[in-house]
Amino acid sequence: MLNSNHPADERLSALAGHDPEAADDAALVEHVTSCDPCTELIHELGALRASLAELPDLAPPRPLRLLPPVDEAPAHDGWATWVRRLFAPALTAGAALALVGAVGTTGFGIPSPQSAGAQPEAFQSVSEALASEAAGAGGAAAMEDDDQPRASAGAEIMAGGDDSRASAAPADQLPAQRSPWPMVLFTGVALIVAAALLRWIVVPRAG
Amino acid sequence: MSDASETTKGTRTPPLPDEAAVIARAATGDRTAFAQLMEHYQSACYGLAFRLLSDPDQAADATQDAFVHAYRAIASYRGGVFRSWLLRITANASYDILRRAQRRPSSPLPDAEEGAPELPDLAAVNPVVEATRSELYRHLERALAMLPTDQRTAVVLCDVYGMDYNEVASMTQSALGTVKSRIHRGRLRLRELLMEHRELFTG
Repeated sequence: MLNSNHPADERLSALAGHDPEAADDAALVEHVTSCDPCTELIHELGALRASLAELPDLAPPRPLRLLPPVDEAPAHDGWATWVRRLFAPALTAGAALALVGAVGTTGFGIPSPQSAGAQPEAFQSVSEALASEAAGAGGAAAMEDDDQPRASAGAEIMAGGDDSRASAAPADQLPAQRSPWPMVLFTGVALIVAAALLRWIVVPRAG
Repeated sequence: MSDASETTKGTRTPPLPDEAAVIARAATGDRTAFAQLMEHYQSACYGLAFRLLSDPDQAADATQDAFVHAYRAIASYRGGVFRSWLLRITANASYDILRRAQRRPSSPLPDAEEGAPELPDLAAVNPVVEATRSELYRHLERALAMLPTDQRTAVVLCDVYGMDYNEVASMTQSALGTVKSRIHRGRLRLRELLMEHRELFTG
């Protein structure tokens, strides 16, 4: 249909498809009502559309899996989706916290943050004392008879050394500082319980 | 098709008799109810996927993908025609496969150059369909499969499954004008392909 007097075939297809914009085109409609070839084309396209619209459903060639695996529960809403997504990370984080807290609480070699913070100063005093002792020692003979002074120096060192003695308070006067490990343990357990409870409440179980 | 109604023309799956109740059960996690729905509509979904993809295996994969998406989303189903809701999901799943295939030129989809794929046995779907209708459907399916992919997608969604231009544009992520053009060019190409069998569809 290349005759320039006729509307473009796509316009006729639009009219055949009941496109409102084409139906409102008065010039197009007027031409079609007075043009047999265009009327015939519209008739054919209309019949083609009707035939397409009645094409039957098709049976699949092989049996299809109708259901996803059992652990795929349908999401009731966005909450359920988020809870399901965050469940595993929350459980892992909770377990990790609980483990660290449990190890820290039972004291298997993990120093508390307070004692860890005090150690560098003590280590520094020890190394300084050992260095000055090595420099000031006269020899093996001199070392043999100064067990007592060394013991007292060691006691001073453990108390913070000469320089720190003035500023450091005696151990029994320090404010009581609680170990954080029980709190870490509690937080971990609470996270696990909360995640499990939330999942149980929000996410529907697969039947 | 588990419950095909017989019509003088093509056969499309009607709603289940107690569909609303079955959907409600499926939405609460009843897997048996969900399976009942999918079994009932699997021919509808497969038919759409096959017409979009022109490949039986990919159509089966797309249908199963659609079932998984539907399972995840059924709790958010808010009424309307369930068949249409499920077909939209199937169309999206099929279109995802189309997009993936188009990104991989090493595995092209069957297209006009390769000829039409083997069609399912329509008589097996609905044995009572008149011989002439069956022949018409066969020619239509073959001609549809010979359209370029973009035209076929637009014509199938619009003319076979009754989606409007906006739905097709949204689904195919195309401009409205592009979709209209594809539909019109696809229709005209179909008419050319079916010219020698014109008497079948013009009656």
